[in-house]
Amino acid sequence: MNDTIASTSNKNKRPIKISQTIVYILLTLFALICLFPIAWVLFASFKDNTSLLTKPWELPNPIQFQNYTVAWVSGKIGHYFVNSLVVSGATLLLNLIFSSMAAYAISRMKWKLSKVVMNIFLLGMMVPIHATLIPLYLIFSKIGLINSMIGLIIPYMVFAFPTTIYILSSFFSSLPRDIEEAAVIDGCTLWDVFLKIILPISTPGLFTVSIFGFVASWNELLVAMIFTTGDNAKTLPVGLTNFVGTYSTNYAPMLAAIVLAMIPTILIYCMFSNKIIGGMTAGAVKG
Amino acid sequence: MDKLLRDKKMIAIFVGPAIILFVLFLLVPIIIACGLSLFSWDALSLPKFVGLNQYIRMFTLDTTFIVALKNTLFFLVTSLISQSLLGLIIAIALTNLPKFSNVFKNIFYMPAVLSSAAVGLTWACIFNPTMGALNNLLKALGLANLQHLWLVDPKSAMWCIAFVCLWEFTGSTMILYMAAIQGIPGSLYEASYIDGASKIRCIWNITLPLIKPMIKTSIILNSIGSLKFFDLIYTMTYGGPNHQTEVIASHLYHRSFQMFEYGYGDALSVILLILCVLTTLIVNKCIKTENYEM
Repeated sequence: MNDTIASTSNKNKRPIKISQTIVYILLTLFALICLFPIAWVLFASFKDNTSLLTKPWELPNPIQFQNYTVAWVSGKIGHYFVNSLVVSGATLLLNLIFSSMAAYAISRMKWKLSKVVMNIFLLGMMVPIHATLIPLYLIFSKIGLINSMIGLIIPYMVFAFPTTIYILSSFFSSLPRDIEEAAVIDGCTLWDVFLKIILPISTPGLFTVSIFGFVASWNELLVAMIFTTGDNAKTLPVGLTNFVGTYSTNYAPMLAAIVLAMIPTILIYCMFSNKIIGGMTAGAVKG
Repeated sequence: MDKLLRDKKMIAIFVGPAIILFVLFLLVPIIIACGLSLFSWDALSLPKFVGLNQYIRMFTLDTTFIVALKNTLFFLVTSLISQSLLGLIIAIALTNLPKFSNVFKNIFYMPAVLSSAAVGLTWACIFNPTMGALNNLLKALGLANLQHLWLVDPKSAMWCIAFVCLWEFTGSTMILYMAAIQGIPGSLYEASYIDGASKIRCIWNITLPLIKPMIKTSIILNSIGSLKFFDLIYTMTYGGPNHQTEVIASHLYHRSFQMFEYGYGDALSVILLILCVLTTLIVNKCIKTENYEM
């Protein structure tokens, strides 16, 4: 009540402040909603099954790490974790190599079909990976790529091409033209220009696509579930869904496995969060 | 210089590997899928040409498909309204905040980097009746009459999944909008401030028109994302109870890789592909964008 009286006497300043407080309160509320499940699963993963079921909201007492050993060893999360690292790492690397080269040719080199090729890649953005599942599954089982990491890396990489090439080529085309000219006058070949000049100054863009790409392949479930039936190539998300069947009443180790699956992407995110948006604003995403 | 950039051999070396892999492992499989959708076959029998019969069967006999189609459209609409709108509002609010906007941004985007499988399982535990984290909380707050079998009742299950979707993906929409808003030069706002425009007017007349291309992009990404939607369904309800929360992607998974009806699965994936392409075309048609020089 006092606020409204005060605001009429000081028309311009007060209402802004009040509305700003409301905005802050709403944003804080939303932030709590965002953090709450993550915090809950973290705390709950240190409890045993009984206290999890009877007192889901209390702090773990005593704190016990047994769930993590169960998840890591008998849940084979450790094994899946390594698989996920290899698959996501290899996907990231190959995708960066092929996409940056293609993006460079499309955005900076001069040839008639560059627009057409770009549009072919962009087609891939609206294609769901589901549409390729059965043919790929049949082909891969013929050539022995089912249950192998290569069988996951190939589709992940190919489906990462459109976004990566799109972001990188708009990044490359925002760079000034004279860069290459100066380098060529100094006697650089095209490879030198690309490797020693273009790529180093494009690190913000490369960062953004790397983080997006890594997170996407780390989290992918459907393809991994279908293309890996045995344990040797299974990735973490598939390992998580295994818990639902085999440990149907044993929730506590599953929560520990969930935390283990969340840690890498959260870590990467915390380290590089400011670079994600940096690479996007630096001329990258224009819509 | 020009000669170097026109070198045909170099162009082929640079763009060749990507385009070959792309055509071989993405375009060719899709064409095969379209072709195979005209054949009825499974893991045991040989393919038999049936023309468009499987599509007719889908729309006339397969009641689960109709439910799945409805549910997919439900998620398309709810996620468009909730995420796009909320993401936009939050992005505008954050870019106008004097303090802490970075902290909020980092927190809001966090759920988007988590694995959907992990997110789905976490929320399934929270909604779960035996563990009953949410029901327990409601009881403790004296709201015992609000207790519910959240994921068992198909109706509430759909809304729960839509909520989790909102929780997970609002941040990624927000970050797209923030990137676009930060690309608008501050001088525009200063000029309109001198002319006496209010903050709301600035948002309406400067921010929104200038980020229109990004609004279009995010709507397209958002709709395709919700059409492809699978992980949360699989981990939260597994399509149940009694296929009532099935979406096209989960139905496709079920028919092709659990019942091994490859031909029918291909037909379902073609429908999904058509939906994605159609949505993209419609959005492109409805939102016209002009390029402003900034």
